[in-house]
Amino acid sequence: MNVTLFFEQLVNGLSLGSLYALIAVGYTVVYGIIQLINFAHGEIFMVGAFGAYTVWMVVGSPTALSWPMALFVLLPAMILGGVVLSVGTALATERFAYRPLRGAPRLAPLISAIGISVFLQEFVRLFYRKLPGAPDSKRAIPFPRIEGITGHSLQVGAVAIKLSSVFTVVALAVCTAFLWYYINKTKTGRAMVATSQDPDTARLMGIDVDAVIMRAFAVGAGLAAVAGVAHGLYIGNIDFKMGFMAGLKAFTAAVLGGIGNINGAVVGGLVLGIVESFAAQLGNSAWKDVWAFVILILVLVFRPQGILGAKVADRA
Amino acid sequence: MTEKLLARAGAVRVAGVVAAALGLVTVLLPWAYGKTALDNMTYFFGPSFLQLCYAILLLVALVALAAKWFRGRLGRFAKAVAWADTAKAAGLGAAGYALACLVAIAVQNGGLVMIEPGGWAAFGLALVTGGAALVLPGSAKPTLGKLKSPPWVQILAIAAAMAVVLFAAAYELNRADIEDFLVFGCFAVAVVVVGRAAGLFGWLSLAAANNRRVLSLAAFAVAFAFPFTQNGSDANMSVANQVLIFAATAMGLNIVVGLVGLLDMGYIAFLGAGAFTAAVLSKSAFATLSVDLPFPVTVLISGVVASLLGLLIGTPTLRVSGDYLAIVTLAFGEIFRITMNNLDGVDGPNITNGSNGVPAIPNLDFFGFNLGQVHHFLGVDLGRQSNYYWLLLVVIAVVIVVFSNLAHSRIGRGWVAIREDELAAEAMGVNTFALKLLAFAGGAFLAGMAGSVKAYRDTAVSPDQFVFLESAFLLAAVVLGGMGTIGGVLIGATLLKLLPEKLRFFEDYRLLLFGALMVLMMRFRPEGIVADERRQLEFHDADEELAEEVEEDLVSHHSLLNPETDRGAVA
Repeated sequence: MNVTLFFEQLVNGLSLGSLYALIAVGYTVVYGIIQLINFAHGEIFMVGAFGAYTVWMVVGSPTALSWPMALFVLLPAMILGGVVLSVGTALATERFAYRPLRGAPRLAPLISAIGISVFLQEFVRLFYRKLPGAPDSKRAIPFPRIEGITGHSLQVGAVAIKLSSVFTVVALAVCTAFLWYYINKTKTGRAMVATSQDPDTARLMGIDVDAVIMRAFAVGAGLAAVAGVAHGLYIGNIDFKMGFMAGLKAFTAAVLGGIGNINGAVVGGLVLGIVESFAAQLGNSAWKDVWAFVILILVLVFRPQGILGAKVADRA
Repeated sequence: MTEKLLARAGAVRVAGVVAAALGLVTVLLPWAYGKTALDNMTYFFGPSFLQLCYAILLLVALVALAAKWFRGRLGRFAKAVAWADTAKAAGLGAAGYALACLVAIAVQNGGLVMIEPGGWAAFGLALVTGGAALVLPGSAKPTLGKLKSPPWVQILAIAAAMAVVLFAAAYELNRADIEDFLVFGCFAVAVVVVGRAAGLFGWLSLAAANNRRVLSLAAFAVAFAFPFTQNGSDANMSVANQVLIFAATAMGLNIVVGLVGLLDMGYIAFLGAGAFTAAVLSKSAFATLSVDLPFPVTVLISGVVASLLGLLIGTPTLRVSGDYLAIVTLAFGEIFRITMNNLDGVDGPNITNGSNGVPAIPNLDFFGFNLGQVHHFLGVDLGRQSNYYWLLLVVIAVVIVVFSNLAHSRIGRGWVAIREDELAAEAMGVNTFALKLLAFAGGAFLAGMAGSVKAYRDTAVSPDQFVFLESAFLLAAVVLGGMGTIGGVLIGATLLKLLPEKLRFFEDYRLLLFGALMVLMMRFRPEGIVADERRQLEFHDADEELAEEVEEDLVSHHSLLNPETDRGAVA
């Protein structure tokens, strides 16, 4: 493998890894607080992408905007739309499917989560196309071009870096910074940490645990929505089942980094992305999805606490 | 309003009885104008079968309302039945059933005008009956379940119940029109609700517990006789075969999820492993190994291969318990599918022909009895699907016997202990890791066996039959039916395979409803349709009343159970 190829794969891996990391944070935050694997989180990511697409559709499907307009008005609006829809969906699932099951045997919320996952996929598949002007949601939908990002690339030496890759990595950096600030510097963020360490004591200290749990779902969903937009820009299209594989990989990333540990999710995502793109380059690409799962199984066997380590793995 | 009516309870009761009696007369009247609606409800004094179903419900309501006036020996027997609740269920059930009939008539013949006054009267009178029963005071918990009865009565009742089930299933499956199917389905549901309200099921389940062998033999006989009700048609038998394969696999999953409480979300891989093993070993021209082995050996090899896979996935992952397992098994299911796709000679060694799979698997042949041919027996043509049906019946019988023997053994108690509290079980000396591994391998063996028959029945095996969604459906069958139970899982498997087959018109919405159902089920009845009593307590541990009820039931069952059958092999 020559140097150019190496760097190209590194960039690919970093952008893929950033996507995984953004989604993985959602798994990890929720798991850290209520020890629930939110199996439907991949679908929250998908819903975010559709939310962004909806905003684009509502403003009249503009195709020929000047780049400052596209980059500084349209894109933020689309991200906002995605975040709103994702957060709304996540809060609704928390309220109606998970909260009533708190305290039930562990199997119950997990099965409920599978149900939600299937439900959300099918809901988007069947009903999104009924919106006025919406495309056929049973197929892959081309994601809108954002002038200034889509189709452009940065030439660094011999390596061409797509601007959508840059966007994905920057999105991860910004979101991580925001998350760090939120968790460490705000009162509600501290409450979240306290709850994840000891929910009962946190409640005694006057923390509204229900509100904290809702915030955890909301934060995860918001990041997943950003990932949804980044996915749309990077891959070029979105579809109703894009959350399934992405969710699985992101969960792997969360476990890899140490589930419950937010920094771990970011590290795990990046590592997984890089490993995957190099494995695809060096080995046979038909097996590329297998590697992620092999890594997941190996991590669980040899280092269940993950790379950075956090919660004990067998708390169940 | 209610208090006023209660003050006149006698008058209300009389009104209800009169309404029920008048309602019975309406089946002698036509309900529909067109002959094509349902099963021809156009005759005077010639009630159709579906009209008679209505009459049965209403008759039960009438007797239940009048039961307060029974005296003497009849009166003593009558005390054991929860008549007031029965009357409510039967009256409202009849009303609901009549309404379903009316809707079906309107849909099939085009408009409400096609309903005769008789139909409206039937609905209205049933509603009055049900309404009267509703305002009357409710009854105490039915004691019918604790009534002692001679063994021959119990055996007779089991046989009768089984015959009714066979007849109802055959009748229901032979409905060509979706409306007829749904209307009779409504009747069946109404009968079940009435039976529950009366306490009849409590009595039947006690009778069943006393005569387990009789029950399993009767159930098997009914299942055996089913192809003879189909007049040589293969359409329903094909559905029945799908149900049996699905149920056998779900029973394997039931060990893992229901007994041990481990969530496996890639279970379809074990069915796939069995199917691919059988296919690759078969005499198909596309099989890569094509060793000509006797079928029983193939079945065993398929089971062994599947259980080896179970060990392979279980050994590393069962140590990190809990919900990680769900995701790891899911990942494993995906790995299995991708691997089967890639073993095509290009991306790996050629074993499965990649996405094409192994087609054209020849039919089985037992000593000259070719399962692919139509055989004539007892005046009925029995087609290919019927032959495979009987083979599958043997498989599921084996699966059920293995499951129930395991569940009631030392191993099974260990499994339940792990499910309820793994730490405590370990402290009590249960070898939790070995037992969990055994559950994984054992369940996989059952699924692998089912897979080998599936390969021959489908005549083709390809990787795209074993997607994640199938695993989710298997899980749903176990959860919906009742984790840890045999009957529940059979019911769950039947519902999940039969309904999509019959209700083609909402095919597109099938998965949406499935997802919603899983969520609602977890919220409102997490123990499933048929509840395992212990399981039910786990899900409702704050419910003291339920705890007492379950304890009482367990004690009374035990004291009434004949110790000999209690210890014997139960099925």
